This record gives sequence, structure tokens and C-alpha cells, in this order.
Amino acid sequence: MKKWSVALTLGIVCCILTLAISIQLKTIDNARETAKLTGSLTLTSNELRDQVLKWKEKYDNAVKDLENSDKKLEEIRLQFTQNDETAIQKDEQIKKDNVILGLTDVVGKGVIIKIKDNGSVTRSDLGPVGNIELFLVHASDVVSVVNDLKNAGAEAISINGQRVVNSTSIYCAGNVLKVNDVKISSPIEIKAIGEPDLLYGSLNIPGGYIEIMKETGLMVDIKKSDNLKIEKYDGILKATEMRNE
Amino acid sequence: MIVIIAIILGCIIGAIIGNFAPIISYTYSVYLAIGIIAALDSVFGGVVSSLKKNFDLGIFLSGFFGNAILAMLLTYLGQRLNVDIYLVSIFVFVSRMFNNLGFIRRHYLDKFRKKTAKE
Repeated sequence: MKKWSVALTLGIVCCILTLAISIQLKTIDNARETAKLTGSLTLTSNELRDQVLKWKEKYDNAVKDLENSDKKLEEIRLQFTQNDETAIQKDEQIKKDNVILGLTDVVGKGVIIKIKDNGSVTRSDLGPVGNIELFLVHASDVVSVVNDLKNAGAEAISINGQRVVNSTSIYCAGNVLKVNDVKISSPIEIKAIGEPDLLYGSLNIPGGYIEIMKETGLMVDIKKSDNLKIEKYDGILKATEMRNE
Repeated sequence: MIVIIAIILGCIIGAIIGNFAPIISYTYSVYLAIGIIAALDSVFGGVVSSLKKNFDLGIFLSGFFGNAILAMLLTYLGQRLNVDIYLVSIFVFVSRMFNNLGFIRRHYLDKFRKKTAKE
């Protein structure tokens, strides 16, 4: 009887010990994976890795906190505006303004444009006088498409997930493009919400920019979509220098 | 014999559960590591005491959990005071582990020698 109880307790103790060890192993493996730099580079200094992981954890926690506070703020706002007619109107105005500014995720009908480098062309195909630059997507191509879209009345545009807002810049940064200071590269996917037929037709006019891009050898594809989702701008819109007149 | 089977079974079950258990946050992994070292030390201590034939389940269990919890608390205290106390606990536990391992080694070596001398 006594032997049984001893065996049982020792078994449970061993179970706890191996459980703890395997959890620890998994945690550390996961941490190493997180601390990996691009490619096969790893942080060799334990101290540095420790710091990186701790900051990452703090960052994740802060993002979670922010989400929670946003939710709370929304609830409080709802509570206070429930019985007040003018407050409801103001709240609706704020929401509308946020949609226009690009601070909320939006859905609607629109078009998706995919532009890709022409991967089938090599330098030897072109010969000594050919210009391989023509077969690559440039910042100017993206700018022209965005301009065309805006001119045709697009209400929300995103480039590879980066929302185009009033502070957005699109420029060339060596072998990548930078949109909202975030690096993007080919294939580039531009989503635009607006009247789909209008956007599609205006982009596809003969002699339009899409045709020019196709002629110079880029891979361009336009699709209409009934259910498009465009992510919000996750940066900060600044207004420190300007003020109301 | 039952004891050995129970230990092996416990290890296997623990490893299987651990495989599906969620990971803990990195900040707390240092506490778990210290707890593991303390628990391992208690296990070796338990083996030695059973070889000396004075194994007591109560002492073993209280040592297993008590040492682990005390080590974690000391680590926490060290982090609050900005002193790496956990290094000292690791030093103590590991040196004790080596002592115990030495005892186990000598015990079985003696047994083996006696056996060969008889033959």
C-alpha cells in the first residue's frame, strides 16, 4: 500500500518536472525564432537577444492595451451619447470624418490592379541596346495609376496594404518602393474603392497608362471586385504646424 | 520495480502534455528555468537518500516544491534589487547535483567492484 502511494507521487512529480522542462524548451525555441534577424542571421549575444525579446513582448502588450482602450473609449462614447441628440450627431460626424481620413477599415465595390515585373525577360534577350528598366515596376508607374484612380473618383486606395492618405508619399528607394515609409516591391497590388465600371473603364482607355505599361512589357492585371476590403492607415496624421484660420 | 515504472510513465505523460501545452511569456521563462534546476536537484537528492536507505516521501516532496518556489522567489527578489541572485541559486543547486551524482557513482562502482572481487 505504501509502495503504491510512493510510486504514484513519484510518477506525478516526474510528470510535473518533464512538463515544466518541455514548456521551457518550447518557450526558448519560440523566443530564438522570434529573435532571428532576416535570413540566417541570428543575434549571437544573449544579452542583446534578451533585450530584443523583452522589448518585443512590451510592444505586443502595448498594442493589446491600445486595442482594449480603443474599445473602452468607444463604449464610453456610446454610453454618453445615448440620450443626447447633438452628441449623437457629433459622434456620427467624427465617424464619417475618420472614414474619409482613412483611419478606419472600409469595404465596398471597386477594382484590384496587379502590376508585376516582367520576369521572363533577361538581359541577354534584350541585347546590348535594350533597356531592362522598362520591364520593372517604378514609383512613377504606381503614382500614375494612383493619379488615374483618384481622377476617376476612387474613394479609398491602398498599395500592398498601405492606405493612401493625405500624407502618403510614393517614391523610389533603390530596389524597392516606399509607400508611407514602408518598403514594398513587385508584385504590387493596388486596391481602390469606387464605382467599379467607372474605374475599370477609365483605366482601360486606349492610350491610357495601363496600356502604356502593358506595351512596355509589364504584367498588368485589372479585376473588378464586389467585396473589397481596404485596411486603415496605421500611422499618425500630424497637424502640428497648421491650424484653423 | 513499481516505482521505476511509475517514474517512466510520469515522464512520458509529462512530455506528451508538454507537447500540447501553451508556451509562457519570455519574461517568466527565467523563473521556470530556475524552478526546473531546483526540482532536478531535489530529484538527485531523493535518489541519493534512497540509496542511503533513509528516503522520506514528505521530505522529498517538500524539498521538490519548496526549493523550486524559494528559488523563484529569490530570482524575483534579485530582479527587484537588480542583483543576479539566480546565478547563486544555480551555483548551489548544480554543485549539489554534482555532489549527489558523485555519491551515486561511487555507490554503484563499489557495488560493481565487490561483485567482481567475489567472482
